[in-house]
Amino acid sequence: MSKDGHSDKLRLGFIATVEVEGRGCVGGLLVTNSNGRPLEFQCTTPVRPDRTQEILYGKMLRPWLLGELIGKTLLDRVSIKPDIVLTCDPDLLELRNHTSTPVACTSEDSERYGSGGRVTSSSEELGGRRLRFHLGHEDDSKFVKQQLHLIPGQADLEEPLERVQQALNETVKTVMTR
Amino acid sequence: MSDDINFTSKTAADVVLKTEGDVSGGQHFGAGIDCDSPKLLVECHKLDLSGSAALASAGFNPALKRVPQMDVVSVPLNKRADFVPSWKPRRIPVKCIGLTLPEGLAFQPPAQPNETSSDGIVLNKPTPQKKPERLDENGKPQRTRVKPPPNALSLQDRLFYLLQPPLESWLAGQELIMPFEPFPYQYEGIAWMFARHSALLADEMGLGKTMQTITGIRLLLRSGQVNRILLICPKPLIPNWQREFRTWAEELPIVTVEGSGARRRMLWTMPGVPILITNYESMTRDLAEFSEEDAPKFDLLVLDEAQRIKNRDSRTAQVARGISRRRSWALTGTPIENRPEELASLFEFMEVIPAHATPDLRQLSALASEHILRRTKDLVMKDMPPRIDRDAELQLTDAQQYTYRTAEKEGIIQLNELGDSISVQHVFELVMRLKQITNYDPLTNESAKLERLVADMEEVAASGAKAILFSQWTKTIDWLEERLQQFNPLVYHGGVPTKKREPILKKFKEDPNANIILMSYGTGAVGLNLQFAHYVFLYDRWWNPAIEDQAINRAHRIGVTAPVIVTRFICKDTIEERIDRVLREKRELAEAILGEGDNDNISLGMNASEIFGLFDLKKRTPKGAAQSIGPVRPEAA
Repeated sequence: MSKDGHSDKLRLGFIATVEVEGRGCVGGLLVTNSNGRPLEFQCTTPVRPDRTQEILYGKMLRPWLLGELIGKTLLDRVSIKPDIVLTCDPDLLELRNHTSTPVACTSEDSERYGSGGRVTSSSEELGGRRLRFHLGHEDDSKFVKQQLHLIPGQADLEEPLERVQQALNETVKTVMTR
Repeated sequence: MSDDINFTSKTAADVVLKTEGDVSGGQHFGAGIDCDSPKLLVECHKLDLSGSAALASAGFNPALKRVPQMDVVSVPLNKRADFVPSWKPRRIPVKCIGLTLPEGLAFQPPAQPNETSSDGIVLNKPTPQKKPERLDENGKPQRTRVKPPPNALSLQDRLFYLLQPPLESWLAGQELIMPFEPFPYQYEGIAWMFARHSALLADEMGLGKTMQTITGIRLLLRSGQVNRILLICPKPLIPNWQREFRTWAEELPIVTVEGSGARRRMLWTMPGVPILITNYESMTRDLAEFSEEDAPKFDLLVLDEAQRIKNRDSRTAQVARGISRRRSWALTGTPIENRPEELASLFEFMEVIPAHATPDLRQLSALASEHILRRTKDLVMKDMPPRIDRDAELQLTDAQQYTYRTAEKEGIIQLNELGDSISVQHVFELVMRLKQITNYDPLTNESAKLERLVADMEEVAASGAKAILFSQWTKTIDWLEERLQQFNPLVYHGGVPTKKREPILKKFKEDPNANIILMSYGTGAVGLNLQFAHYVFLYDRWWNPAIEDQAINRAHRIGVTAPVIVTRFICKDTIEERIDRVLREKRELAEAILGEGDNDNISLGMNASEIFGLFDLKKRTPKGAAQSIGPVRPEAA
């Protein structure tokens, strides 16, 4: 879909991660149509930074791991490219620095955004949630405004993230038992 | 800078340290400590250090006065410090697991704005009343998620189900418009069916098996899990299914297999038809004519009123099992009518047990918990107006009494005279004759039941309500029709042509003067929605309470707005009372198999020994399994 917002085939991406004790982080990306019906799902195997990376990246370790490493890999891998990626984890906003696809965070917990100043102070309301964007990509909110008419009013944009979490837990459970 | 440099020191001190006394001869410029008498002596001398220092004239002094010449030279700095090592952290390899979900079928255009325009005036279309949003214990909206079935082993299969949206949002008008919002237990039923290849939905009658099935089909088609579906039901229920499909899934194209043999053959094999509906007779007849290669194949086969295949050796059951399909759903409110083995036949159709397997009760119970979903009104419809059962115990009129006693006495004498040649059929004929006398005396037309019925109906008609009456015999129904003219009775039984049945039901619903409809169990007991009738009369008793319950639930079902009062007419000291007692004693076996939560709506029919026992007669048949007797189960005519 072009980003002028005129196509009715809006594809939404929902990205989330889960921590696997002792094995690192697993990420999943679900691509749905505008009604939340699943079209494609990709998830990673557990990813764990080594000690050198922990020292070198310091506070930026998690954004690097989730955004650049896991998020970008997943986004590159899906064959159905989403028009916007949604997450409830502010650290995943780092993904926006590595893709041209707008990334928005649904979390309304201001504490989760920390004091790093990485998110916009203003927000856009969509699907029952207030979306916030990466500070370096404030124009993403304009794109979201153009898509408002394609998202059903009663849609809950955090619900698909719960599905991603469940699918990741199921994957971890299956992989761990092998 | 000065030419002369003078260094002058004003004073200097010559310091002499001495120790007092003779300590190794004493020392100048030193210090000594007498260990025995430590006394330090310090002696000072003043020295003159004054003097002058001057430069000697050597001829190069002027050079010292010249300003030094300095040039500025630019030296470029390296962009990167040479001493920083050119090392980058290793990029962690990330592996992915992927799943692409089928696109599914799209049947309808996006919903239009909820407006209609007429003469320039924009009006809002009427919308069904929305139920208040259900919240869970955390205050969040309730969500019914599809759970992967236990037999889904591959990760991809399990993820497919986990990634489906909750049914509430899937069906909330985003993609699939629902005319009415389903009840919570219906959401659960839909999610349960959606995830199963072998499912027996055995909800009690009136809880919406049809709607749950249609919605399950709709979601499977929508998500691309099935493309071709065959639904088989009793012939009289085909219009009901057509109507329900129009109500719940108007976008789904359905084709009914009917007409001439050539036309039916064409319909069976016509491509691009997602849903075929046919009846059991047509299925048995038509599919037998196809060779194995040409036989139509289906993704989903649904059997409505699946008790029709309870006899696993019947032709119907064999043909149904032979249909090529990937999923098998069975629907019935009475999974066990007479014997637990009937359930085994259903399981064999669902391909959860091998052919001809005979699971015991424990195995049946285990299979039931896995493959059967059964809910009763008691459990799920707490808010539904109750069904009030009352047994009207009536005393036969004098004339009836005389006729009845005479017939009974003569009948028993005749039975005894038959000796060892007595068969269950002989006993059965006597039972039928006596039951008919309890309905009305054929000689005098006196009837205790009719008197009571008229009295009750006067109240029903006065309140503008409607009633349904069930009887086993069309003859009784016709007899009653003549005598209930003041209530404008309508007649609906097997003798009424199929084409006239729908208009009769329509008139019963819409005509305020039509207060009662007289139905036979066979024709009216299944598949009809008559929840606007709040009174049900069972004029005579069927052999199996499960069938009676099916009949009662034509009225007591979803949508009912007032309590449904069910009146069973039982004549005291007659065969009716004895039959009722036997049936009441047999209600527990089904509960043992189907588990807790079942009410007493399922019961077992009577077998030959029990029929003999009604007259204190011993069964004279060889040893073996009990022989079922009684009329053929009411098939829709």
